[in-house]
Amino acid sequence: MRAPLLRMSGLHKRFGTRVLFDGAELALEAGHGYVLSGANGCGKTTLLRMIAGLEASLHGTLEFRAQPATTARYPEAWRREIVYVHQQPYLFHTTTEKNLEYGLARRGVPPVERQARVREALEWAGLADRSDVPPHKLSGGEAQRAALARAKLLNPALLLLDEPTANLDGNARKQVLDLVTALCIDDHTVLIASHDPEIMRLAILDRLTLAERRIVVE
Amino acid sequence: MDLFEPTRQAFALLVTGDAKLWGIIWVSLWVAVLAIAVTAPVAIAGGWALAKLKFAGRRAIVVLMQALLSFPTVVIGLVIYLLLSRRGPLGVFELLFTPWAIMLGYIVIALPILIVFTVSAVQGADPRIYETARSLGARPLRAALTTLWEVRFAVMAGIVNAFGRVVSEVGCALMVGGNIAGLTRNIPTAIALETAKGEFAQGIALGMVLVVLAIGINVMLAWLQGRGGLE
Repeated sequence: MRAPLLRMSGLHKRFGTRVLFDGAELALEAGHGYVLSGANGCGKTTLLRMIAGLEASLHGTLEFRAQPATTARYPEAWRREIVYVHQQPYLFHTTTEKNLEYGLARRGVPPVERQARVREALEWAGLADRSDVPPHKLSGGEAQRAALARAKLLNPALLLLDEPTANLDGNARKQVLDLVTALCIDDHTVLIASHDPEIMRLAILDRLTLAERRIVVE
Repeated sequence: MDLFEPTRQAFALLVTGDAKLWGIIWVSLWVAVLAIAVTAPVAIAGGWALAKLKFAGRRAIVVLMQALLSFPTVVIGLVIYLLLSRRGPLGVFELLFTPWAIMLGYIVIALPILIVFTVSAVQGADPRIYETARSLGARPLRAALTTLWEVRFAVMAGIVNAFGRVVSEVGCALMVGGNIAGLTRNIPTAIALETAKGEFAQGIALGMVLVVLAIGINVMLAWLQGRGGLE
C-alpha cells in the first residue's frame, strides 16, 4: 500500500488554555481533493498553517512523502512543494504578472519560461487583461484568482486553500469556485478549509470535519 | 533691517555659481549622502533584526535607539571630539577637523533614526507578506527583503528624515569639523558663521538651498509613494 502524501498524527495544539487539537490524525492521498469544515475558530486555518510550516510550534508528527518534520524545524524543501493561500491573499505591491512570477523566480525558472508560464496562468484565471495592474486596483475576486493562479503555476505537490470564497459574492464567488473546481479536477492534491456549501458539495472532494479537537473523515 | 538687498545678493550668489558658496554646498552634500549610504544598509538590517528576532536585550536596544533620537547632537560632537582628539583612543587616525570626522558624527546621528523607522515599518508590516513569500518558496533572507521592499516607503521616510537631520545639523559638525573653509565648512556651519559676521547674503543663499533640498526630497518621496500605489 502506498504511503499517503501527507500524514499528521498525535497532533496537539493549544492557544493559552484553549485546546485546538488533542491527538488529531490526518492523512492526505496524492491526487485527491479534500474539504475541511468545522465551526468558526475550531482550528481549520491553524491546521493548514501547521502543514505549511507557518506556525511556530508543532506538537505531534508531520510526515510529507514519508519524511518526518521535526518539531523544531520545518524542512525548507517542503516550502517548494506545499503552497498555502491565505483567506485574504496578499499580493505584493507590483503588477499581477510580477506577483505570479515571484514563486517561479524563487525556483530558478529562467525569465523566458517564467513569462510563458505566467501568461498561461493569467489566461487560466481569466486575468490576461489585468497582467500589468497593481493589486490595489484588483477587485476582491480578481485578487483571489490571481493568488490561485500564483499558487497553481508552481505546480505544488500539495495546495492549501483557506476559505477561498469567503468575503466574495455573486459572480466573483462563482469565478473563484470554478477555478477551485478546476484545480481539484486537475489531479492536484488540494486541501480546502471552507464553510462554503457549494465547495462542500463538490463530489470530487473528500470531506473532513474538525470536531471535538479531532479530524473526522466522512 | 533691510532684507531685500541681502536676499537679492543671495540669489545672485546662487545664480552666478559662486565657487565658495557651491563648495560649501558640495561639502554638505557629499558628506551627508555618503554617511547615509554607509549607515542605511547596516541600520535597516539591524532594524529588521530588532523587529523580527527574539533575543535577550532586544527591548533595551530599541529603547536606547529611541532615546538616542532626542540626544543633543552637540553632545554626540563632544564624544566624537574626545574620541578623535590627539590624546583620544582614535587620535592616531588624525580624523579630527576633517570631513570624515563630520561623517562619523552623522553616522551616529542617523543610525538610531534609521533603526527606529525600520523597526516601526517592519513591526507594522502585514504578517502575510513574509508568510506569502515563504509559502511561495522564498528563503528567510529573501522573504525578509521582500517584506522590506513592501514597506519601502516607510523605510525611505526614515532615510529622508535622517538625511534632513544630518544635512541641517550644526552642533556636531562645528565641533568635530572645525568649520574650516574649503574643507569642513558646510551649509549649517557656514550659515552660523556668516550670520555672526553680519554677512547675511551667503547665509540666506545657503538657507534657501537647505529649504529647497528639504522640499525637493519630500516631494520626491511623495511622488514615489504615489507611483507605488499609496494614496
